Amino acid sequence: MTTRKLTMLGALAALSALVAACGSTTTSSSKGPLVVGGVIAITGTSSFEGSNQSEGLLPAIYEINHNGGVMGHQLAYKGVDTRGDPADALPAVQQMLATTSNLVAVAGPGTASAPTIVPVLNSAHIPMMAVAGESAYNRSPYKYFWRLFPPDSANGTAMALWAKQKGYTRVAAVFGSDAGSQGDLPGVLASLQALHVNVVANISLTPDQSSYQSSVNQLIAAHPDVIMTESDAGTAGTFFGELKSLAGLVPIIGTEATYTTPWLTAVQGALGASDFHKYFTAMITAPSKVTQAVTAWNNAVKEDHSQLPVSISSAQNNPFAVTYYDGMIATALAMVAAKSTNPVVFNSYIAKVCNPGSGKTVVYTYAQGVKALNAGKQIQYFGATGLINFDKYHNSYGNQEAVTSSASGNTVSLGQVTVAAIEAVPVKGVA
Amino acid sequence: MLSQLLASAADGIVLAAIIAVAAMGFTLQFGLTNVLNLSFGSVMTIGGFTAYLANVAGLSAWLGMLLGGVAGGLATIALGRGVLRLYARRRTQLFEMMMVTLGLSLVIDYGLQSISQNAIYGYTVLQASPVRLGPIVLTPIQLFIVLLAIVILVVVEAALKFTKLGKALRATAVEPSLARSCGIQTGRVVLITWTISGFLCGLAGVVYIISTQSVDYSTGELFLPLIIAAAILGGVGSLRGAVVAAVVMGIVTEVVAGFGGAAYSTVAGFAILVVVLLLRPGSVSGGAEDRQLVL
Repeated sequence: MTTRKLTMLGALAALSALVAACGSTTTSSSKGPLVVGGVIAITGTSSFEGSNQSEGLLPAIYEINHNGGVMGHQLAYKGVDTRGDPADALPAVQQMLATTSNLVAVAGPGTASAPTIVPVLNSAHIPMMAVAGESAYNRSPYKYFWRLFPPDSANGTAMALWAKQKGYTRVAAVFGSDAGSQGDLPGVLASLQALHVNVVANISLTPDQSSYQSSVNQLIAAHPDVIMTESDAGTAGTFFGELKSLAGLVPIIGTEATYTTPWLTAVQGALGASDFHKYFTAMITAPSKVTQAVTAWNNAVKEDHSQLPVSISSAQNNPFAVTYYDGMIATALAMVAAKSTNPVVFNSYIAKVCNPGSGKTVVYTYAQGVKALNAGKQIQYFGATGLINFDKYHNSYGNQEAVTSSASGNTVSLGQVTVAAIEAVPVKGVA
Repeated sequence: MLSQLLASAADGIVLAAIIAVAAMGFTLQFGLTNVLNLSFGSVMTIGGFTAYLANVAGLSAWLGMLLGGVAGGLATIALGRGVLRLYARRRTQLFEMMMVTLGLSLVIDYGLQSISQNAIYGYTVLQASPVRLGPIVLTPIQLFIVLLAIVILVVVEAALKFTKLGKALRATAVEPSLARSCGIQTGRVVLITWTISGFLCGLAGVVYIISTQSVDYSTGELFLPLIIAAAILGGVGSLRGAVVAAVVMGIVTEVVAGFGGAAYSTVAGFAILVVVLLLRPGSVSGGAEDRQLVL
């Protein structure tokens, strides 16, 4: 072999090593934007899910970009409309994967499309901050699935505990027949059974009917002293409006999904502000105490509010939105910690930058996190939702809180249900 | 059991009345023009939003109902004369015209979605304490809606049967070219039909949102399948048929819901349509394949 050939081979080997090294640390050698896919229902009857997402994700991207981006890369949002239907979601996600070379993470999917989409994204090695509440993900086998949100079963157990605490003995379950609403029902029923609270009616509402009078009559005949509910906003407005007209109201406890602007607006419109505040309670993830993380979240919403579909206070009080915010900040910090924008590399860092640990520096904002990581420290991101502590199935959730919405749209706390209390309920048949 | 059946049947009649108001407008339009107008639901939404805005502006609910009907009439004339007639002049066929109306429906719906910021607006007018008659519980406004449907049926049927315009309309529907040669101004007849059916459509939108107590951009679109089903089941162009079909669908839907099958209630309603289409396909189509657009 000649010296010239040896030199060429050496150069080739060096180039290969360089390319391999680049490949293992980053998806892009340039400082072009990194794409975050918003895989959620943006249109259709579940479009409120898209609103929830943009209310949290866009402020997070704004904050990250205004603090130098991720290692010099700006983040860009790309909406992928599932229309809340797996049949629409799958081609949309496949198209996203085929056409988006610099995709680093996904926010979503939601409950309806999760069974179809989660395996696809997992196979594509794309980390996802899902809002799918199904108990099936309580022990998720998917490495790239992350959930910063209580499973439906935990939310249901908290609702049952709250009902028991308030002395209710005759519960009517009124849930929409759509997949998102039905996901919460097993947890509610199993928890009520475990707590020996009588379920006097279990009513399923087909969304978007012109009337639910037969269902209302069925409910009236059961004489409940409290209603536990989740359905889409329009359905809830019609049902509770008819209930009020025909028989008067009883206390209503809604799942976390009811505590969103469209639902609150529709039901408050149907019941009137006075009755709404008198009868309605929602069980949501307990808002964090006011920390620097909460301040950063509030500021990000304020500064980016022109991009948001709702008012500043609506976004700030939306439990789904703040979850998306924390998920995005944690993902960005994981990239910085891993010194890579390659999902295969940084995926495992998501838990590392969030979970508590000895010797870790607690940070509350993206800027603080980047500064600490650049100083060579290990960090624990304490989010706007509070403590984040992923288990081995990539689930993290905190206490639940019973709340109502004031006339001005602010959240009014009525009391808490702790994780310990939830986990102490011997719920059977729900993972 | 009997109490539940009576209560559900009463609920079904209320639902039927809401369907019937819209279905009568739809079948009148379809029967004359042969346009399967899929933008009908969107015009309903326009009627609903008009009533909502009237309410916000402090006008009475009754005036809002009238304005909703007027808005529906104006929107239908605009679509019929302004858009659909242009396509008819280019010899657009029935199926193509249906697709045009579908496109118009999407334009209106998404336009309303954008203007309304995708929000759901509460519309709790005319609500009052219910009236109880044994196991039957109805609110006064529900009784009014049933009465309204009956009045519309009687008035429009009488107009079709006993007035010159009604006779001209029926003649145009049966054979437009012959009607023209007999001196009937078919263009005027079509315009009046657009107006009446549009008014009923807008009115149906208001009646619908009074029932659902809310309005959003998809209000009419969601109700459209039931309207079309009733119109087809009742026989194209037949007001009485549309009402009878609405009653059957309404009662079946509510009885199934009342006996614990709420998730299957709509399916049960449409199952009737499927069975009728299977047993008597000719009676439903009425030879539509041979028909020409009349615009």
